[in-house]
Amino acid sequence: MVHILGVLLRDSWPAKWAFRKFYGIGAHTAERICARFQIHDKAQMRDLTPQQVAQISAFLSAPSTTANLPILPLAPARFKPPSTAPVPQLQSVRKDPLKELKIESELRREIKENIAHHRMIGSYVGRRHAMGMPVRGQRTSSNASTARKLNRIERRN
Amino acid sequence: MHPTLRLYSRSSWKGPYFVNFPNLRDALRSNTQIRTQARACTILPTYIGLRFAVHNGKDYIPITITQDMVGHKLGEFSPTRKKFHYKASKNK
Repeated sequence: MVHILGVLLRDSWPAKWAFRKFYGIGAHTAERICARFQIHDKAQMRDLTPQQVAQISAFLSAPSTTANLPILPLAPARFKPPSTAPVPQLQSVRKDPLKELKIESELRREIKENIAHHRMIGSYVGRRHAMGMPVRGQRTSSNASTARKLNRIERRN
Repeated sequence: MHPTLRLYSRSSWKGPYFVNFPNLRDALRSNTQIRTQARACTILPTYIGLRFAVHNGKDYIPITITQDMVGHKLGEFSPTRKKFHYKASKNK
């Protein structure tokens, strides 16, 4: 039994599925998280060390404030590091996609704010949300049940 | 903004699509309405405070541009469809 951010993740769950319990983390992001903390593909939640669990919960509670990843330069097999020279500190050129990760209440708040923005300026999107109708031109004669369930000004999910 | 809009968005080197309205500055000063059918025109920061009458296929819907509308299209504020409501006919 592992608790991360108050969510119970069962021991028998594969780690790359377990992270999908959080709102805002899907299959792709879960795999990215596993890669970051060097959790192998078949690992279950019981295989994680307490240190890894602590690292992951620290990461998920504030993804934007995590430290930059170090770049480990590739070297040929016969490379011998010069003993005196300091190891060069490289900075990643690519942006870290997990830094902009938003989960749970933060993500829900962002969605609500986006809807409120559309409603405030009176655009078609905001109007459709207020009516509880599909926003992107889907048919309404039948179906549209997801929109009727979800599309509100104060969206619940 | 929609995620799809971001994914399949217009190439950035083109810049936003907009229409050159004549006498934009005069319209802002004299507060006159600009009648237009250019629904696809992006609202630029220079339009703030202007009054437009945007065609919806039938009428011209008056809108006033505010700060928050920048980046949206003019057509988003001029709905093209009427809500259906049943009217009982008198003469059968």
